[in-house]
Amino acid sequence: MITKLSHVTLFVTDQEKAHNFYVNTLGFKVHTDAVMEHGFRWLTVIPPEQPDLQITLLSPLTGFMYKDEEVRNAFRVLLEKGALGAGVLHTPDCKATYEELKAKGVHFNSGPKEQFYGIEAVITDGCGNWFSMTQPK
Amino acid sequence: MHIAPAVYKRIIAGKLYVDQHFQEPIDLGIISQKACISRFHFHRLFTRVYNKTPHQYLTGKRIAFARKLLEDGNLSISEICNSVGFESMGSFSMLFKKETGISPRAYRNNTLLKKELVKRSPYSFIPNCFINTCLASQ
Repeated sequence: MITKLSHVTLFVTDQEKAHNFYVNTLGFKVHTDAVMEHGFRWLTVIPPEQPDLQITLLSPLTGFMYKDEEVRNAFRVLLEKGALGAGVLHTPDCKATYEELKAKGVHFNSGPKEQFYGIEAVITDGCGNWFSMTQPK
Repeated sequence: MHIAPAVYKRIIAGKLYVDQHFQEPIDLGIISQKACISRFHFHRLFTRVYNKTPHQYLTGKRIAFARKLLEDGNLSISEICNSVGFESMGSFSMLFKKETGISPRAYRNNTLLKKELVKRSPYSFIPNCFINTCLASQ
C-alpha cells in the first residue's frame, strides 16, 4: 500500500537561483542541502505548512545528472521556454499573495481570476517552471 | 467577504512591516498604524487574508528567524532570544517548543548533528535511485 508522496522533483535551470526564489521569496525552508564529492547537489525544500513533502530542486543541465546530450537539450528547451507546469500552490488569499509577490519582483503569467474551483493566478519561478497559485473555494 | 484593492494594499503593507521589523518590540497598535487601519479592523482583515492573527504571524516570523540563527550556530540561545524580539527566555522557549515540538537547545543540537552527517555522508540523505542515475552517467 502506498500511503503518501515524500519527494517530488522539480527540474530548474539554476539551483542557486531556485534556492533564492523558493526560500527567500516564497518562504519555503531548506530540508537538505548535500553536495557529493563530484559536485552533484541534492537540494530539497519544504513548503511552510507541509514539512513532510520535500521538493527536490535538480539541475539537469549541469553536473552528472544527465550526460546524454539529447536528454539535456530536451530539458534545456523545456526549461528555457518555461514550458513545464509544475503543480498547484495553495494560498489562503490569492489576491494578497499576488500583490505581495509582484512587489518582490515575481513574474506572473496571469493575475488573479475567479475560477469554478477558487481564485487562481499563474506564477513563474524564473527557473523554467510555472504553477497555478490557487486560493481554493 | 470582498476586500477593496486599496484595503488589500494596506493589509499587505502591515504584513511587510512585520516582515521587516519583527525583531523590534512591535505590537498590533504599531502594525495597524502602519497600515492606516484601526486595530480592530486590521486584526479582522489580516486574519481573514492570512488565516492567522497578526500576533500569530509575528510569533511565527520570530520563531522562523530563531530557527535560522540556531542552525547558523554563531549566537548563544539567550542572544538569539533577544535578537528575534522576545522579551524573556521563558516565553521564547515555551513558544519555540510549541511551534517545533522541541526546545531551542535540542533544535540546535539536532541541526548541528544533521549538518555534520550531511557533510560526512551525503549519500545517506539521497534516495539511492538518484545516486545510481548520477553515477551511471559518469
